[in-house]
Amino acid sequence: MDHLRRSLLGQLARLSAGAALIPLSSVASAGINSQPPRREGDPTKRYGMLIDLRQCIGCQACTVSCHIENAAPLGKFRTTVSQYEVEHQETGELATFMLPRLCNHCENPPCVPVCPVEATFQRQDGIVVVDSDRCVGCAYCVNACPYDARFINDRTQTADKCTFCAHRLEAGLLPACVESCVGGARIIGDMRDPESQISRMIAEHRDELMVLQPEKNTLPQVFYLGMDERFITRPLAEPVALEVLDPHGKEMGYEFHGH
Amino acid sequence: MNSMAIELLAPRYAIAWYPWAVQYFFLIALSYATLWLAAPALVFGKQRWLPTARLAMLACLTTTLVAPVALLADLHQPLRFWHFYAYATSSSWMSIGSLLLPLYVVGVLLLAWLAWRPALQANRQAPGLAGLVARLLSFGDAPTPRALLVLVGLGTLVLSTGIMLYTGAELAIVKARPLWNTVWLPPMLVATGFIAAAGLILVLNRVSGLRAPASNGQMLKVLLGACVVAGLVAGSWFLDGINANVGSVAAALDSVRASPSWRSTALWGGLTGVALFGAVLYLLTRPAARRPALFAWAWVLGLVAIHMGWMFRWVVLMDVQHVARNSAGFHHYGIPAGSSGLLGIVGTFGLWLAAALVIDLLIPWRQARQGGSAADVSPSESNAQSDAKSVEGAPSHG
Repeated sequence: MDHLRRSLLGQLARLSAGAALIPLSSVASAGINSQPPRREGDPTKRYGMLIDLRQCIGCQACTVSCHIENAAPLGKFRTTVSQYEVEHQETGELATFMLPRLCNHCENPPCVPVCPVEATFQRQDGIVVVDSDRCVGCAYCVNACPYDARFINDRTQTADKCTFCAHRLEAGLLPACVESCVGGARIIGDMRDPESQISRMIAEHRDELMVLQPEKNTLPQVFYLGMDERFITRPLAEPVALEVLDPHGKEMGYEFHGH
Repeated sequence: MNSMAIELLAPRYAIAWYPWAVQYFFLIALSYATLWLAAPALVFGKQRWLPTARLAMLACLTTTLVAPVALLADLHQPLRFWHFYAYATSSSWMSIGSLLLPLYVVGVLLLAWLAWRPALQANRQAPGLAGLVARLLSFGDAPTPRALLVLVGLGTLVLSTGIMLYTGAELAIVKARPLWNTVWLPPMLVATGFIAAAGLILVLNRVSGLRAPASNGQMLKVLLGACVVAGLVAGSWFLDGINANVGSVAAALDSVRASPSWRSTALWGGLTGVALFGAVLYLLTRPAARRPALFAWAWVLGLVAIHMGWMFRWVVLMDVQHVARNSAGFHHYGIPAGSSGLLGIVGTFGLWLAAALVIDLLIPWRQARQGGSAADVSPSESNAQSDAKSVEGAPSHG
């Protein structure tokens, strides 16, 4: 991918961070694949998350606490931290880049209109949730999400995803990932409240914030501070080797190329 | 591959749609394409197309019955299928499809019944189960009005365009999969559907012993036309996106560049398409005297055509899901042996074969007509089956 495209996307990522608070009413229009009306949740709030990558040490405490809180099946994640080893092309210096990933609770979520039974919907506070009693497990939403934020839960056989721990928010608690973050890198809050920490940080860092895959026009509401624009789209990286087999053909675990 | 970064840690993302989806898209494409191949005789009254229509109706009904089974199996909660009707959603192409599909299935069932009814009426005295089925299904002696057949046929053709549209649009709107997100995908699915359908009729023409020479010629022409359309669509898609940095073509080129398996798939698909087109063109341009001998081998091209239609869907639905969209590289997916893999693929084809054999045993599909009554089913037509079986080398089955 050429440099021009990268920097163009970088611009786009910054611009759409600014568009976060514009109500979506202008985007929504009746028709196939348009957003159905939002329901439930507090209409006076709009939850969002800001991830300060300068504070993330890649400890995966968020991954683990989310897994315990939400009982996701083994190998499937509502949130996780991707890790990359990046080599400076001139000096050869090595650095590690951490990228926490979760549902972006987009302002224009592509997973919602595709659902054939409206089992997945966006609440009025912006949180995208799944009604697992209604979900038929067609997995259309899993394919429609560009962020791999959704999966089919092997236990319930329905779509599963990050809910910003809505059940904890309603009880006045922080989401498990935010609560457990060692460096305080994850900030969640109501973006309609100008006094909230997230609103103040968005105001302060507006020009530096980036979102993932801005070109998909999903308007993500998870903002990254200290982001490297090379990672806002699918990373150009040597992939991990997922299957490392022992002499008996049994999987030994994860290992990566070139090591 | 640019080696400036190495992905150290990323989850293994499973595919969300299993090979059941390939089977559904394949069978429903055979269904709507064979319906259109039955239409010239059944709906528009072209007598020369009647043998083709008989084969096409057999193919259409059997694929129409089995396709929804594969679709249901791809749901992780198949018993909740009624939610589609309890909570219909106008924003979702899949929901629109779930409303269209039962109407279409009923349309095809009605059309097949109308086309087979005169023969069923004539078959009432047949011994055993076939006679019983004929007595149960023929519903009286009244002749089948031609106008009704045309009306039902037209209605089902309209519904079938809805099926073409929704199956294509369902994929084409998914921005998260750049390879699907192109307006050229729906027409390509239709074109390859017609390639596979013409191929299936060529094969059925051979293995059923019907061996209608006219059908071979007609299907080879359809095959040629569908190949040309598929080529034009593929070419337009490529030229449309060749200069773009993002989008379907860019994603395809990325995949072909980065993965040996995508390279061989692209090569295989391209070569098979060109070879099929060349072989069909060769057969159709031979002198009239040599054609009957050569056309007897058209079923081999039929097998290649079926392979094309199925492989295209496999690549589009399965291989595209292996392209990582949020992490680096490609996901691995070994086809599992169980119901989300091999068993599903083989089972669907087995079910189709069973449906085709049951219909062949019990329904006089070889005497399908454009309406009329039992008296119109001529004895020569009734004997067509036994005549065909006496041909040397014809396979006996059932």
